[in-house]
Amino acid sequence: MTDSLVSIARALVFIVVALVLCAVIFSIAGFSAELMFSAILDGAFLRNGALNHALRWGLPLFITAVGVAISFRAGYFNIGAQGQFYVGAICAAFVAEWTSGAPAFVVIPLCFLAGMIGGALWALWPGLLRLRSGADEVITTLMGNFLAGLLLVYVTSGPLKDQSGSGQQASSRPLDAAYRISNSLGVSPTIIAIAVIVGLSMWLLVNRTSFGMMSGLAGRNPTMVTWQGAKLWKVGLASFIISGALAGLAGTIELMGPNGRLASGFLPAHGFTAILIALVANLSILGSAVAALFFGGLASAALYLPVIAGLPSSAIDIINAAIALFITARSQLIDRIMRFRSRANG
Amino acid sequence: MSETTPPVLDCHDVTVRFGDVVALSDVSISFASGAIHAVVGQNGAGKTTFARVIAGLIDPNEGSVRISGRDMPKGSVNDARRAGVELVHQSFALPPSFTVAEAMQFGGAGGKLYTRNQLERRWQAHLDALNINVKAGQRIRDLPVESQQSVEIARALVTDAKLLILDEPTAVLSPEGTEKLFERIRHLKSAGVTIILILHKIREVLAIADTVSVLRGGKLVEGPVACSGVDADKLSELIIGPSARPLDEDDRAALTGSASSLHTHVGVSGNDVGAPPILDMKSVSSAPDGDGPPLGDVSLAIRPGEIVGVAGVEGNGQRTLVRALSALTEVQSGTIALDGKQVTTMPLQGRRIAGLRVIPFERNVEGLSLTSSLWENWSARKLLQGSLLSWIRPSALRSECKSALDTWDVRYATVVQRAGSLSGGNAQKVILSREMDEDARLIIAAQPTRGLDIGATAFVWDALDKARRRNCGILLISSDLDEIMDICDRVVVMLSGRIAGTFEPPYDIARIGAAMTGVAHDR
Repeated sequence: MTDSLVSIARALVFIVVALVLCAVIFSIAGFSAELMFSAILDGAFLRNGALNHALRWGLPLFITAVGVAISFRAGYFNIGAQGQFYVGAICAAFVAEWTSGAPAFVVIPLCFLAGMIGGALWALWPGLLRLRSGADEVITTLMGNFLAGLLLVYVTSGPLKDQSGSGQQASSRPLDAAYRISNSLGVSPTIIAIAVIVGLSMWLLVNRTSFGMMSGLAGRNPTMVTWQGAKLWKVGLASFIISGALAGLAGTIELMGPNGRLASGFLPAHGFTAILIALVANLSILGSAVAALFFGGLASAALYLPVIAGLPSSAIDIINAAIALFITARSQLIDRIMRFRSRANG
Repeated sequence: MSETTPPVLDCHDVTVRFGDVVALSDVSISFASGAIHAVVGQNGAGKTTFARVIAGLIDPNEGSVRISGRDMPKGSVNDARRAGVELVHQSFALPPSFTVAEAMQFGGAGGKLYTRNQLERRWQAHLDALNINVKAGQRIRDLPVESQQSVEIARALVTDAKLLILDEPTAVLSPEGTEKLFERIRHLKSAGVTIILILHKIREVLAIADTVSVLRGGKLVEGPVACSGVDADKLSELIIGPSARPLDEDDRAALTGSASSLHTHVGVSGNDVGAPPILDMKSVSSAPDGDGPPLGDVSLAIRPGEIVGVAGVEGNGQRTLVRALSALTEVQSGTIALDGKQVTTMPLQGRRIAGLRVIPFERNVEGLSLTSSLWENWSARKLLQGSLLSWIRPSALRSECKSALDTWDVRYATVVQRAGSLSGGNAQKVILSREMDEDARLIIAAQPTRGLDIGATAFVWDALDKARRRNCGILLISSDLDEIMDICDRVVVMLSGRIAGTFEPPYDIARIGAAMTGVAHDR
């Protein structure tokens, strides 16, 4: 209990420190820090409909982040959420194309199934390589992201190419409105329901099943779990598959909800923001929900930064990166501070 | 002691605190030069901290350290070295991939350019002068532990050491190796070096030291007094303290080594010779797995209610034996039966369901996940015997864990605290409470008392004895011969992955020792 309180406090401190750091940098660069903060607050949380925007970005991020958390907990650093997100969306788009004309209640579930299977497969091969031959999953999943990005370019400029497009950005033919699960604003009861189902079921999996406990133990000390007779590959493979499937699910939601089509290179930072969310939440499912809303809010604030503070909207990426820096430096930093304090006390 | 020369070491009111923990409290002690001084105490008594203070590795919070009458600046390894103080660590600090010569060079002064030949010539002479039979060109990792320790000592003597501190030097040695080490130490003494030995076996103290000092709870409770003036019982009382629960006679004898070398052990339970064995290994050979020699043709049977001890110098296949029994290393030929059931190809999960329990060698790596909570660590065995998809109720597991830990007398604050926050003895008790449940049939206890203090050690022995009375079979792997001879109904000795001898009580330590070192002895 205290452990989770500490990690919440820690995450908040890092976010605040990162924001302050960014404010300093931006004001040195000649922007107004005050306006930056008010743009973020306003755009992310206060403005009318801000919650809608935060949910639009936050819900898919949450789903992907939960997957990331599940593989990280088991000790596997699957950083390929972006690729799994793309492949999931691509598979769903193909199924939508092939089943076009069938009733929505057939097409939509099939698309979701395809999206999850696609994402899972894109996580499966790095998982197998890792578990069978020890290939570092950080490298393979990262490479998988580039492969998936190129696959997306091919698909949107080849098999699924929208011939009527302007040519600015290759994209697929738009989905029939009957198959969309939300309008372009991106929030609908369906999407909220999916996120809630994912959140609940994954919370149960992590906190109320033998698998969840074992993967947590295995992530911290695989040797000990081996001596208890666990088959690490089972836990490992399941973690890869689940994390891939969830990223694929998020990709499908983006395709069938707000985007309505595939565009080459769409949402390029989705996977990495999801990793950031999982880390900020200290790999907890509940924490991921809160963090996803926060980062969803930041993403929607990107629209307001140019208007209110005159900052480019990519300033949000800088803020995200600053938070990421602090979070990854976290353990080192905390260790140092603790050591310093115990020395000061002694 | 004559006071013509100043004492080689003079500590005055030394206090060391780590956060809220007081490791050493107002320790004032002085050691005369040219003698062998033993410092004894339980785990956590402050022995290693004391050694480190003298060697300048730890800066005491209060007090002063004088070496040969000169004040030593606090917490400076280099100043301590210059004054002639050298520490040989408990766990060896030599880099395994270095050659002996390289380790000596960098352990000492170092810095200049050199060629390998120059280095080896230079240090070979040093090793030869100390009568250490090691080639300077060998890699540290290829040396047996005894030789590694000799090299550590040689490294410490590179500079003109006046005071040599050895922290638990006998922990890794066979009886014969210990004897050789003692000879070396006596030799150094005659060469004028003062030696401080950190020890925890009373028998060894009485065998080698001129004076003994006892630390308990960070305080100096006795000493230095001449060893001729104390006996084993008095020392063990000083070490344990008055409040500890009394040990039973056998345990005390084993801890103090006061029994004769001929142990008269009587099997406790009615281990019925006719009963089918709980463990039946027949001619098991294993694949090499990089963790010691492979098993060669090992046959071993354990009957219900029997404790079989595995003695041997470390690194002679004991780890492979445990791994083979735990299905963590591949068995190439031979069969293993557990409680009458063939398990040769069965994975560990199945063997555990059949009643196998393992207290592994490395408590903090193989036994516990230090960054996970106590209840998660405790529940792992139970949960893994079921399906990964089964539901759990954390609150129920937590309360089960709590009552189990209470039964096993574990000192802890809450079951959600991290396993890493427990002391060694308490951590071991958590493992015992997990591995010695009602359904256990065969318990493998690998070095279950290593690093534990006398009280915790007696607790572990007691637990093993209780399991024996419940008719479990127990396989005890230990490098402590006293422990093995005290509690085992039968002892096998492992040498290079094979069983080199089987012994029944009364045990003859000389013959066991001979089998351990491969000296042919009418077997």
